[in-house]
Amino acid sequence: MTILAHRDYRKLEEHQAEIVVIGTGAGGAVVGAELAEAGRDVLFLEEGGYHPTSSFNPYLTESLPRLYRDAGGTIIMGRPPIPFAEGRCVGGSTVVNGGMAWRPPETVLADWERITRQPDLGLKAMEPLLERVEERIHAKPQHASSIGEDSRLLEEGARRLGWDYAHNRRAQDRCVGSNQCLTGCPTGAKQSTLLSYMPRALSTGARCLTEVRAQRLWIERGRCVGVFGKAINPRTREEDVDVRVRAKAVVVACGAIQTPFLLLGHRVGRPSKQLGKNFLCHPNAKVIAIYPDPIYAWQGVSQGGQIREFRNEGILMAENAVPPGTTAAQIPFLGQEALDLMKRYDSMVMTGVLVEDSHSGTIARRFGGPMARYSITRYDHARFLRGVQHLATLHFEMGAERVILPFSNFHIARHVDELAGIERSQGSRSTIELFTVHMMGTCRMGSRPSHSVVNLSGEVWDLPGCYVADASLFPTAVGVNPQVTIMALATRVAQRLQVPN
Amino acid sequence: MVSISVLQRHPDDGWALADPMKVGAPMRRVLLKLADAILPPNPRLETTLEDVTRHALICLRYMPRSSALLFLLAMRVLNWSPLWRLRGFRPLTSLTSDAARRQLVSASQSRWLPVRLLMYGPLGLFMSSYFDQDYVHRELGYAPVPFITGRIELRRAWVEGQEPGADQEIRHLPVRAP
Repeated sequence: MTILAHRDYRKLEEHQAEIVVIGTGAGGAVVGAELAEAGRDVLFLEEGGYHPTSSFNPYLTESLPRLYRDAGGTIIMGRPPIPFAEGRCVGGSTVVNGGMAWRPPETVLADWERITRQPDLGLKAMEPLLERVEERIHAKPQHASSIGEDSRLLEEGARRLGWDYAHNRRAQDRCVGSNQCLTGCPTGAKQSTLLSYMPRALSTGARCLTEVRAQRLWIERGRCVGVFGKAINPRTREEDVDVRVRAKAVVVACGAIQTPFLLLGHRVGRPSKQLGKNFLCHPNAKVIAIYPDPIYAWQGVSQGGQIREFRNEGILMAENAVPPGTTAAQIPFLGQEALDLMKRYDSMVMTGVLVEDSHSGTIARRFGGPMARYSITRYDHARFLRGVQHLATLHFEMGAERVILPFSNFHIARHVDELAGIERSQGSRSTIELFTVHMMGTCRMGSRPSHSVVNLSGEVWDLPGCYVADASLFPTAVGVNPQVTIMALATRVAQRLQVPN
Repeated sequence: MVSISVLQRHPDDGWALADPMKVGAPMRRVLLKLADAILPPNPRLETTLEDVTRHALICLRYMPRSSALLFLLAMRVLNWSPLWRLRGFRPLTSLTSDAARRQLVSASQSRWLPVRLLMYGPLGLFMSSYFDQDYVHRELGYAPVPFITGRIELRRAWVEGQEPGADQEIRHLPVRAP
């Protein structure tokens, strides 16, 4: 198993491979593993470090810099600004996500088939890919021993209100609900690509260069033939080692923000001018309820299920317990008041409303980095208000003392009747506080170069030899947790990837 | 063989945490004052403010340099917020902790989004660091390590063939409905 880090590098690192894959998350690891198992010589470039399961712990001060891009301090500019989180480590965001393994809804696949005018993205063509992925990540429902009180409470609330509640399928092998999905699963149950696809790739001869940031693509005579990168000194974070990898094909799988950022450094994506456009992000609003009794939401799996009653409106609701540090940063108090509220941490149930995008944003290169821009529409805003109201109603139905709302000018509701004030007080889109973890759609896949960035094999229309394999490929928002869809599309890219002799 | 964690706060996996970003004494004073105003006055150790400031400066190392510099500039702007918000003539660093906190509470509840936006960074960095400390966890009654250790053992037994039974389910007091 070859995993190299900064300490292993010389001043200039030169490597050759048949295929170089940039990124080891839901897209990159899958492409790399499928190709390596097919006998290809694969080399991964990963910007983050390699952190095995034995290094995971529940402490944010360690896990934020180790596992998250920019130590979790990233933001999408717009109205309102939306903080976002994505992984930066071997395994990418699959190491720090909830591991939800939902298939793309049939309606979404039908839409993709219609948009691309090809059956490749339809349900029939996707079915075998989805099955293959689900088998490899052990996608299945949770065991009863892993479900926490917060999940049971949400399910019971949905039942009382007559709403549809679905138990989550997750990428997990004997999950026991340690509730540390966001800081790296310390039991080894979550089947992130760190534990599922990467070991497959590495055991069949793939190599992985960690702590290397891809700077630009190596293009010769109009064909992508490798990558130039810089290794990052872990102490100083300076880029002090040149890394060159020459390959017959390059797969870019850095996520829906970093992938277009890398490609925008070149003259590609010109026929459609869609590169960096169509940025989608499934924004979320947090609703925190405080109950009279301890719930211990931090025990039991993060998100045992989802309320799907409003799925047709593009609204999903779920619980998602986060550590005290993250919670404290989201409550509307400072100083002693913050501590007084946080002393009720055991009685808090953290829930969220996810709204499917009705509109898209953009990614551009600014000041040497990617600049994401995205604003919610009035329609999205109205759905958020409805979703928050529904979720808060559920909490009051279940006996919550008070509910912390995601509005800068209306923080706390102490009674269900106060929720009527949401519509009145929230005229502006600037007062809602959102966050996101599902970035998608910036290198959309399609069958015509005039409408898309990559073809249905994932190859960039105007850059042969360069493939994209991550959530950037999505033609529209997928409406559910995107991990399985990304993996299925990455499997398709691996199957179709052509390497010249 | 199942890989399991030992849950160390500073795991030894051969990966080094970055050194804190270097800033001058005036900037350090601003960050310390912001931390002092944002964090609860108790519980604190003697080194709490230094510790959370150090963590913030470590996190800045992981951000693009332009973002880190923009953050520091924003903290200077926030330091002078009493002046430009017409609420006083002195910066936060010249105020008492309580007075500085009142200014920051007001900024975080401002009707102007750019003013509230200035608070995102320090709130996120200082709160996540402070509420991650063992002595604060004790204050909250939050003890993740014994719980996770128990779960690791439960999974180990399961991998060895012992499926968890009903007595292993996570159950606490029933939630009282109205």
